[in-house]
Amino acid sequence: MARILVVEDNERLARLIADGLTAQGHVCDCVLSLGAADDALHAAQFDGLVLDLGLPDGDGVDWLRQRTGAVPPVLVLTARDALEDRIRGLDAGADDYLPKPFEMRELAARLRALLRRPGGRHDAILTLANLVYDPAGQSVHVDKAALELTRREAALIELLLRRAGQVVRRAAIENSLYTFDEAVTPNAVEAVVSRLRRKLDEAGAAVELHTIRGVGYMARARAA
Amino acid sequence: MSRPPSITGRLTNSLALVGGIGAVLLLIVIGIEYRISFSNLSNHDALVQALHELSEHVLLPMAVLILPMALAGRWAIKSGVKPLIAAARQIDARADETRGVRVDITHFPVEARPFAEAINRVLGRVDHAAALHEAFAADIAHELRTPLTLLSLELDRLDYPEAERMRGDVAQMRRLIDQLMLLAQVDADRTAHVPPARLDLGDIAAEVIAQLAPIALDQERRLALEGDVPLLIHGRREAIAAALRNLIENALRVTPPQGTVTVRTAPSAGGEDVLLAVRDEGPGLAPDELLALVERHRRADHASRDGAGLGLAIVERIMRAHGGRLSASPETHEIVLHFPAAPASG
Repeated sequence: MARILVVEDNERLARLIADGLTAQGHVCDCVLSLGAADDALHAAQFDGLVLDLGLPDGDGVDWLRQRTGAVPPVLVLTARDALEDRIRGLDAGADDYLPKPFEMRELAARLRALLRRPGGRHDAILTLANLVYDPAGQSVHVDKAALELTRREAALIELLLRRAGQVVRRAAIENSLYTFDEAVTPNAVEAVVSRLRRKLDEAGAAVELHTIRGVGYMARARAA
Repeated sequence: MSRPPSITGRLTNSLALVGGIGAVLLLIVIGIEYRISFSNLSNHDALVQALHELSEHVLLPMAVLILPMALAGRWAIKSGVKPLIAAARQIDARADETRGVRVDITHFPVEARPFAEAINRVLGRVDHAAALHEAFAADIAHELRTPLTLLSLELDRLDYPEAERMRGDVAQMRRLIDQLMLLAQVDADRTAHVPPARLDLGDIAAEVIAQLAPIALDQERRLALEGDVPLLIHGRREAIAAALRNLIENALRVTPPQGTVTVRTAPSAGGEDVLLAVRDEGPGLAPDELLALVERHRRADHASRDGAGLGLAIVERIMRAHGGRLSASPETHEIVLHFPAAPASG
């Protein structure tokens, strides 16, 4: 699926992460230091970076801040999870932050979400279970059958698919679905979600749209 | 049992002594000056004369001097000791704070300063030792993270029927380490005197629920948020989020499958507090049971099986750091966090 560079000085941990990501269909390279990471980024193009913060030749956050040129989306691994550290990491250019200890599926899910962000090389097609969304044409297919969606429904499914498995806050949905001039009634988003949910069910999509009352919505693959 | 020495008692004794010695000295002086000898005191008139002289020149001046001196002495002692008593009251009033307590010596009399300064030095050393202890605990928690990650990832690769149960154990260890780190953080915040930020409780609640909702759905339980108005408080975002996370995780454990854990934000009936309540669909926790759970862990008597008590003890500590409290309301199945409301502006 994607080419990932793992920067982690604990050799066993690096190997385990690489094995796990390979099992998810990614292509993985491991380096044990920041210097080696520089070389690897010169030598090849990566879609994502898994970066440990405490490395023998320096601090990952400083390295990230000082790096010039294009850096692929970065998922920072750290044993620190105090708020200040997190903010420092995100400010320096990390895209997401995963505290140790973590489980492989958590790492895989976060990485998937990173690769789905707009602007990445994998911007092209979003897939969740048997649902395929093409942002370029705003078209949705369920098991290769096209699904008719309104502009708003398409925008909503794109938003939810980009952060599949995570809750998208209602305010964020309102922001991207409605302009300033349009009055958003409290139930407007809920109505769009209900219509979209019905259409997906009728088309046989193995995707569930969960309502987290008072907070937002989340798209997930239906449990087998 | 001898009574503890009292400065006022000593003053009274010394003034009595001064009076006694003064009286004897005056008697001698008068005797020499008036050439009175014991022999001519046999004359009645002379005796009366002598007694008159004595009361006028010895007893009266003594009384005139000693009484105001005694009163002035008592007053001086009382007002001198006043800052000490005030300082004692101040320290007692901060009974909740175990760290960073110092005796305020700005109004202390010079005589009492060396003692107060020595006490402050001891308190400083105690604080330092406690900080080292906490840093050590945080370091251990920190160091445990990498091996635990390795263990967790190795388990992911195992195709072994017991692996799932072991994954549960690792998750439990991970929770405990997170709690330890959090506890260290709460104490560090408290001693660092970081100014708290203005926060919207509803926004924190939405963020925590968004994080936990996928996990809850995995466990076939739902999360919901009630209350739409922004409710402002002063506090530390991470600590409050962690407290809420603890309560939601506990609530998920007692709520049966298909049930919903509901978080509610509201101003209190009087309006001076802001409430953050977590409602479960379990059997409900009576206030005294909650108190027992919190108390048990405060005394470090680790008897709870699932770590819920440790979590609640940490929540209680976070609430105290925010000038708030924790309560249970069994009739509504809620555990409620009470925060002092932030003033409307500023």
